[in-house]
Amino acid sequence: MNQPRSVSTKTAPTDWHGSLCLEFATRQGATQLSHSQAKAPLKTQRPFYPEGSEVCHSVIMHTAGGIVGGDRLSVNICLKPNAQALITTAAASKVYRTNGREARQMIHIDVASGACLEWLPQETIVFNQAVYRQDMRVNLAPDASWLGWEITRFGRSARGERFIEGNWRSHTEVWQHDRPIWVDRQWLPGSEEVFTSPHGLASSPVVASFAWIGRSIEPEWVEKARSVWVGNGEIGVTRLMSGLLCRYRGASTMEARQWLIEVWRLARSESLDRPICIPRVWQL
Amino acid sequence: MPTNSALRSLLQLASPTLPVGAYSYSEGLEALADKITSAASLDHWLRQELRYGAVRLEAAVMIRAYRSSLAQDFLALTDWNRWLSATRETEELRSQSWQMGRSLLRLIQDLQENEITTLLLKQDCNFAIAFGTVAARWQIDEQSATIGYLHSWATNLIGAGIKLIPLGQTAGQRLLLELDEELDRATQEILTLQDDDLSSCGWGLSLASMAHETLYSRLFRS
Repeated sequence: MNQPRSVSTKTAPTDWHGSLCLEFATRQGATQLSHSQAKAPLKTQRPFYPEGSEVCHSVIMHTAGGIVGGDRLSVNICLKPNAQALITTAAASKVYRTNGREARQMIHIDVASGACLEWLPQETIVFNQAVYRQDMRVNLAPDASWLGWEITRFGRSARGERFIEGNWRSHTEVWQHDRPIWVDRQWLPGSEEVFTSPHGLASSPVVASFAWIGRSIEPEWVEKARSVWVGNGEIGVTRLMSGLLCRYRGASTMEARQWLIEVWRLARSESLDRPICIPRVWQL
Repeated sequence: MPTNSALRSLLQLASPTLPVGAYSYSEGLEALADKITSAASLDHWLRQELRYGAVRLEAAVMIRAYRSSLAQDFLALTDWNRWLSATRETEELRSQSWQMGRSLLRLIQDLQENEITTLLLKQDCNFAIAFGTVAARWQIDEQSATIGYLHSWATNLIGAGIKLIPLGQTAGQRLLLELDEELDRATQEILTLQDDDLSSCGWGLSLASMAHETLYSRLFRS
């Protein structure tokens, strides 16, 4: 038998309290990573500029391979006025089966006036029996915008695993002018009933949400976003009080991501007047 | 047990004849014609909503509006109203909630003008917020108000199911009767939910309501 390539991923030390703090600021029209602080297992690659100096790309890495019960990860992102940043992750995130305790990730994002954050992490694979909770809070200045997605696979479906035990919560809140624009309090209790019900996952292990917030959206956008969809899963698009929301439920993270990339392309050409720039780490 | 006067108030507030237009909405059911095809599949959908869905969260916020109104805490009432608007799954569910909320407030304003309804009429007020405020004013107890809220919601969706599936009236009444225990269980849970636990499983409803917004021809409003 081969030794597992990295033993530490399988026996991750319990109770990681990882944290990451990133601040982006502009200088003469260029966005720079003005402050960065990381505590294991979180880390970032050096920022890079594949589309010029205006947009700073950053890649977050989780060096322990995955999240287990008792872990607390805390991410703080701050964009100063007019900064433009794109943040993604180096690989799919994994949330392992629980050891009896909840794993948590807290993400806090502040976007100042004129700034725009594109938050495009790769998918999260939630193992059966995982107990996970994520809280993301985004504060937008009056003239700021945030575009983000979350792609989740419930169970390692390639090996036939389904998420039928455990608990998953993902709370996302976006505020502007001290008022909530979008509060998405997703909950998926692991159970056969919820996994198979048309009200829950309808036996589709992959779900995704995409939101673009901070501006009013014309009604035509719903049709625009629907029109770029190609695939076998189910999709929906609606308008938020000040933004656009897309949802996907199906079997393929690739299919979900391909659709959301097309919606992202539309959003970028509309708001930033700029083509999209696919991060190399996505390996599409 | 509610007093006679509270019981009368509850019957009035939870009545399908309350002129707020609830009957004109199907909350996504119309877009589920291929999935909800029988009394059994409608029953399943309603139970999932009560156990994990948006209505559970809505009723929990109704109770928070009830408590804020009793305490005359207008700030909290406004905050909960904004919070609930931000949690609506889709534009059509948000519009429904605001339209029904406004209709209920206008009605109450005509019947017995008061400070809270005047305040709430100045904002986009969700139905659950208006319902909780009126229930507090009419001195209906929390448990009865919650049962009333959920029961009128279930009655309305069963009515939609009767037209859409279609089902006979007797089948509809049987379905409602069989939800008794589920409604009781949901009520107990909702009354003890902490703010931090206000979350729901929304994939099915969200996709159905989004699909309904773009349906070309339909019986029910968006």
